[in-house]
Amino acid sequence: MAATDTSLRTEAEITARVKALEALLIEKGVMTTAAVDRMAEIYENEVGPQLGAKVVARAWTDPEFKARLLDDASAACAEMGIGGLQGEEMVVLENTEKVHNIIVCTLCSCYPWPVLGLPPNWYKMPQYRSRIVRDPRGVLAQDFGFVIPDDVEIRVWDSSSELRYWVMPRRPEGTDGMTAEQLEPLVTRNSMIGVGPAAAPAA
Amino acid sequence: MTGTGPDVTDLGDARRRVEELVCGLPGAGEQPFDQPWELRAFALAVAAYHEGHYEWSEFQRSLIESIRHWESGSGGESWSYYEHWLRALESVLSSKGLLSDNEIDEETRTVLAVPRNANHHEAHREPVAVAAARTS
Repeated sequence: MAATDTSLRTEAEITARVKALEALLIEKGVMTTAAVDRMAEIYENEVGPQLGAKVVARAWTDPEFKARLLDDASAACAEMGIGGLQGEEMVVLENTEKVHNIIVCTLCSCYPWPVLGLPPNWYKMPQYRSRIVRDPRGVLAQDFGFVIPDDVEIRVWDSSSELRYWVMPRRPEGTDGMTAEQLEPLVTRNSMIGVGPAAAPAA
Repeated sequence: MTGTGPDVTDLGDARRRVEELVCGLPGAGEQPFDQPWELRAFALAVAAYHEGHYEWSEFQRSLIESIRHWESGSGGESWSYYEHWLRALESVLSSKGLLSDNEIDEETRTVLAVPRNANHHEAHREPVAVAAARTS
């Protein structure tokens, strides 16, 4: 079983391999149960798109914060106590009437974990990674049912291990007077990837 | 579920705690993980990083290299993001001298040699699970 040839592995073999790796790491003291628990705790309870939604909702309602967010997203998020692994260098892209932004990682699926949680499976698929670059308008319409008007420019941004992008969607119509807290639930994960709009307020 | 009853070791406990991640993650139905081993591989890589065994950028470079290798291949190999993740983890751990491929191969063979239902032919004369009676 050569370590470099994973394609020949069956699901049972790879499951066994991960189990073996975990057992060895714990046995050798490289890793402790507590360390894995702590990591699990963080990603289970604290990290997820609800944090990004909080940031966006605040930016929608607080122009000064928005300016700071667009200037230096990592620093603005840190103001709100949000940051961590894969959030070191973040850039927020603002959608406008004329420009729509989408994020992708064409190599390894870099993603801003501290604000969006972990990426969904489709984000990591080679098909999304290659197609969204070639035909963003078509992929949004076909795969996500999200039609961008022809007069709106679409920009696709490639995240890397040095720099991770995410999107500030447009504030939905009919939300004037709503507080940041009321707006948070309207900010979806997909809207912060750029493959969907922020949700409309309940009628 | 393995069907063999709960694993009560520390390792089993860690594994359960990590698997709970799946339920807590956003977007049910669009989960980041397809298989439990993917979640375990994810958890191990992040935990080892948090323990200070490597820089995150080292892991990422390793992951990028594995995916690049796949992309430049002749095709035909099926895509599994977390296989690349696992390969990257093994590679970065072995580059740090923490584990060797041989050790992992050997331990994997051991795991594979002990099938889940290894003792299935034996008589089980005690209940495999008991839920205590409720008095109130």
